[in-house]
Amino acid sequence: MAFLCLSFAKGMDFFMSTKSAVSKENSASLFTRIRRNKEIYFLLVFGLIWYIVFAYIPMYGLTLAFKTYKASLGIFGSPWTGLENYVYVFKDPAFLNSVIRTLQINVGRLVFQFPFPIILALMINELRVGRFKKVLQSVYTFPHFLSWIIVASILTNVLGQTGLVNSFVRLVGGTPISFLGTPAYFQPLIYITEIWKSAGWSAIIYMAAISGIDQEQYEAAEIDGASRFQRIRYITFPGIQNTITVMFILAVGNIMNAGFDQIFNISNPATSKVAETLDMYIYRVTFKSASDFSFSSAVSLFKSVINFTFLLAADRVSKLFGGEGLFG
Amino acid sequence: MRTAKQWSYLLLALVMIVSLAACGGNGTTPDSSAAAPSGTAPSSSASSAGTDGQSGAASDTGSPNPATVVPVSDKRLKFSMAVNAPIEGYDYTAGDPYAKWWSDRYNWDIEMIGLTGDNWDEMLRIWINSRDMPDVCIFNYTTKSHADAASWVEQELIKKMPDDWRTRWPNAASVVDKTSLGPEMERAYDGVYFLPRARFDENLPGDPLPNHMCLSIRKDWLEAVDMEVKDAYKISEIIEFGKRVKEKDPGGIGANLLPITSRPGYTINMFVYHNSQNYNTFYKDTDGQYKWGAAHPDTLEGLKLYYDAYASGALNQEFFTLKGDDDRDQFYVSGVAGAVYQGSTSTGMQINQETRFKNTGLDPDDCVHLANILGEDGKYHQVDLINYWGTLIFSPDIDDEVFERFMDMLDYGCTEEGYRLQVAAFEGEDWEYDANGNMVCLLPEGMPLEGANGKYPSMGYLLGCLKLWDDFSFENPNVIEKYRTRSRDLYADRVKNGSPETFPKTDWTVWTYDSPARRKVSFDYATEFANIVVNAKSADDVEASWNAWIDSQMGLVQPVLDELNAL
Repeated sequence: MAFLCLSFAKGMDFFMSTKSAVSKENSASLFTRIRRNKEIYFLLVFGLIWYIVFAYIPMYGLTLAFKTYKASLGIFGSPWTGLENYVYVFKDPAFLNSVIRTLQINVGRLVFQFPFPIILALMINELRVGRFKKVLQSVYTFPHFLSWIIVASILTNVLGQTGLVNSFVRLVGGTPISFLGTPAYFQPLIYITEIWKSAGWSAIIYMAAISGIDQEQYEAAEIDGASRFQRIRYITFPGIQNTITVMFILAVGNIMNAGFDQIFNISNPATSKVAETLDMYIYRVTFKSASDFSFSSAVSLFKSVINFTFLLAADRVSKLFGGEGLFG
Repeated sequence: MRTAKQWSYLLLALVMIVSLAACGGNGTTPDSSAAAPSGTAPSSSASSAGTDGQSGAASDTGSPNPATVVPVSDKRLKFSMAVNAPIEGYDYTAGDPYAKWWSDRYNWDIEMIGLTGDNWDEMLRIWINSRDMPDVCIFNYTTKSHADAASWVEQELIKKMPDDWRTRWPNAASVVDKTSLGPEMERAYDGVYFLPRARFDENLPGDPLPNHMCLSIRKDWLEAVDMEVKDAYKISEIIEFGKRVKEKDPGGIGANLLPITSRPGYTINMFVYHNSQNYNTFYKDTDGQYKWGAAHPDTLEGLKLYYDAYASGALNQEFFTLKGDDDRDQFYVSGVAGAVYQGSTSTGMQINQETRFKNTGLDPDDCVHLANILGEDGKYHQVDLINYWGTLIFSPDIDDEVFERFMDMLDYGCTEEGYRLQVAAFEGEDWEYDANGNMVCLLPEGMPLEGANGKYPSMGYLLGCLKLWDDFSFENPNVIEKYRTRSRDLYADRVKNGSPETFPKTDWTVWTYDSPARRKVSFDYATEFANIVVNAKSADDVEASWNAWIDSQMGLVQPVLDELNAL
């Protein structure tokens, strides 16, 4: 069900971005454009198929939130139970704790993680040697391709009691620090590892936006004596502001997803209390105890509705401040 | 140019289609019917019931022999089987003469699907609830997973044994009846859905049945820190050992020293379970009322000991990151640990000491000692293990021919001849009878039969096994006598040190109780208690956190207690 909800959220994102793009065109010109660029639009077909098969069709499974799932009867045949699952959901103190924890972690992600790819893109863009720029970009992008299992084992080797850092701490006469077993370090650890793993990859979209800025603006600014920092501040940054806004709105719309893979692999019994996000909670009630798919569907649906609400709210706030938002 | 572009688009599209198709494939649970044509095939057991299973081809040619295998049928079958901890990637159809004997005799190809202790329960839940289970699985049936089992039976998500199964496969039925769980579940479900695999048949070491888990401790380090080598240690004595080892480092290990090491699931057993046997279940108290063991004062005492071990540095400071057999390897392979909670079956002991410990370059006789763990009252604490480990379950969609042939194999495995083959391999090749009729091992001393380093890696709890090795472990000629003796002695000591209060029989009312409220009470005690201990600043802190946790869960627990007390 976690997958269903992830798909649901992604589906909503796609729906909105498509609608945003389409809203500026009338239907006749859209068909003309499709006819004119059919090869390009042909590639879109596979994306659409993916969304229909994996995001929209499985959405019928969300009805389980209001049923008691019986595998033998299937999703359609399982009996309806109204809001009974939600009564249990809100009775469980672990559920509310996990909601609060998820929000807390993700607000932190917006504050600490979100700016990093932007800063990285701006910095890479300022490099003068083209080849060095490309090498650096590749280096920063590479960690994205490592799975969280690998990252978690690297982390153990680096931060464990006998790891690199603690060996150094011992060498200089200090007492080893329990990085992996101290709840207070857990949240910073997930931000740092996520930045290490994804900042390079996420910077690509900003690099693309930067490359779309008219170069003449830079030349004119240089002639007018603008410093490098001023060019970043008055040309580059405003040039990518719309991209930043869209990415921020999407990030806000993802606020109830705290990165299951990452937390699952990095957490352990010592940090379990600070690591039980909503996704971890859903995983626990679905697979780690007697299966209750209806219960976890109810939680997943709740999560999707909250995500969707945040997405719309962020869009409205963006417009309120003069931005374009997702819907133009 | 335009054509080239169009071709490149088409090629890209094709690549994407292929990728999607590859992602959508199911690599784990192939349809057995593809290999074994469906339809109502004649029952192989119908012609062989009661005879094929017991003797058949094997007995026709004397004892089982790899060179003279007569297949039970000419028709080759294929099936999938999910088991805990097989050797990854090993060919269980023909990887060694033992595997080959079974697959030649029963004329099949096995697709072995490996599960680990970490994902065992979880994978079965996913498979079974999506009606996508392999043909045969080993299900970890426990009181915790009883709710799942009941739900699967209710929905017929697993196969029910045919009504005449006892007459068709009498040897298998006889073994299942000795497991306690088998008959209890038959009553509960009004039919047989689970075939528990018996630990013991003839050689049951006690009733209630003790577990084989115990403490592996460094004998040389015990002596070095001035502690007595004993058959059993109280928990506080083990912690004292850890503290002294930490202080003196008798092995000169340095920064990597782990006085006591244990994965979270075993740590809770070492410090809490052996002081409070009901810590993770409901129990009937002396006043006749059902209570929650987690809230018992003995559980708190165990938690405080657990805290003492951790806070003092006696326990591995990162035990909570250990997975799989990390802890065992720290003791037996790298030799950096002073004590670990491990099994003490004779075969397990032999593999650990004769094979794994050799990596340390030390002599296991001088350095390894096995001992039982006692509670602080000096008693052995445990709940009845129940005479089984894992249950065999079948897919409701299993091909009839596959099912019947597999049952034939199980039935044969429960005969004396079949069981000898499973536990001692081939007569004349691996063992023989001496003039006094005793089994004598023909392998070099200490050479294991099973496991990755054994003569037949496919041997173990995998093929043909409804009766596990435990029963034979006390007389197995392939196991060095000292290990058999030690194992027997440890079992006897557990029985001797237990009392009806600290080592009670199974309360089947609690064990099999199922209700919506009961299903909500499913805690991961190992994680919950590890969290309390690691984050506590003092023993008082442990008590406060334990109280807070108990209070926070009473909303879920009290309805179950009310239901049980109303029975």
